[in-house]
Amino acid sequence: MTLGADGAIFAISIGAGLVGALAGVGGGILIVPALTLLFGIDIRLAIGASIVSVIATSSGAAAAYVRDRMTDMRVGMFLELATTTGAVVGALLAAVVAPAFLYVLLGLVLLGSAVMQVLRLGEEMPPEVEPSGLAARLRLASSYPDARLGREVPYAARRVPLGFVLMWGAGVVSGLLGIGSGALKVVAMDGAMRLPMKVSSATSNFMIGVTAAASAGIYLGRGDVDPTLVAPVALGVLAGAMLGARLLPRMANRHVRWVFLPVLVVIGIQTLLRGFGVGS
Amino acid sequence: MTGDARRDRLTPDQFRAVVSAVLRTGVVTAAALTTVGFAMSLLVGWEGSLLGATTATSAPTDFSQLLSGLLAMRPISFAQAGLVVLLATPVLRVATSVVGFWLEGDRLYVAITLAVLAILLGSIFLVH
Repeated sequence: MTLGADGAIFAISIGAGLVGALAGVGGGILIVPALTLLFGIDIRLAIGASIVSVIATSSGAAAAYVRDRMTDMRVGMFLELATTTGAVVGALLAAVVAPAFLYVLLGLVLLGSAVMQVLRLGEEMPPEVEPSGLAARLRLASSYPDARLGREVPYAARRVPLGFVLMWGAGVVSGLLGIGSGALKVVAMDGAMRLPMKVSSATSNFMIGVTAAASAGIYLGRGDVDPTLVAPVALGVLAGAMLGARLLPRMANRHVRWVFLPVLVVIGIQTLLRGFGVGS
Repeated sequence: MTGDARRDRLTPDQFRAVVSAVLRTGVVTAAALTTVGFAMSLLVGWEGSLLGATTATSAPTDFSQLLSGLLAMRPISFAQAGLVVLLATPVLRVATSVVGFWLEGDRLYVAITLAVLAILLGSIFLVH
């Protein structure tokens, strides 16, 4: 790799980290196509680098999100129980289920969620509700300081069982396909549990590092993680994620949705195409 | 907030500060190691050594070779060490949360977080 290519990869990675931190997804959607299409890097190594970029996005952004009370740590930990157990089941199923079918299914789910996102485009805040008995027992109701509105915004998770099941599905998908499924996590928290968009994004960011760390060992063991390629990616993504984490608290929830929607559409199309054998 | 105030040895704000510090320390350490490795690679190349050592480089899963690579001032070993720190950070964050919820006096979340930690460690170490 030349110094110029390293510089270009670093710059693209800053963009990936920034978008990832705002949308609550890892930087994989930008990193993998950029590395393979622009730099001709082997898809295996590109995916290895993207797994590392997910962890870098997550930790880099969450350091600020946790401190600024954007991440709901209880929601995150409770749902990580679903994603990690799901991921184990997914890894066990990997030998039995055809990935092509799963990619198509996941692509359709993501694009369907994108339609739901369009319907909520103008919405700044989900309607306020009293926490259900389950949400209260699990303490899935809290508040976050909204720098843009200049006030503390209370929220309570709705449809907790549905959110848990969706997260479990996101975990199964991660285990089966080896992807972070950050987009599904945001969809589950925003769409099903009706948490404020910024809380959904910041909490998804908090979670995706754990999901990716669980599968990173597999990629490392297979030799898919090349430290010389990962160096400019990780440094760029970290810088971008830290920048994004400074922006998110000051953004309106509906503007965060404007960032998330195109990301969701691109991931949905990529996933669908992969199911039909196009691309990676 | 629920919980017995007298027994709570950690306020939610302190808990957040600690978790945030763990994440930031991990990220900054990983970035520093990677940057040092990258700077060194400009001098001797990724596979070289500032001390002129010639033994082959190792996979980052082998800690003793990683250590000897660091001692030999190999750029690639610094990048690998940065990678290991980066991958360990989310695991450390979960482990910190177990202690945090315990000190906050939230036993339900101690159990939830312990379960997540166990599954996470299992999935990292049992795959090899």
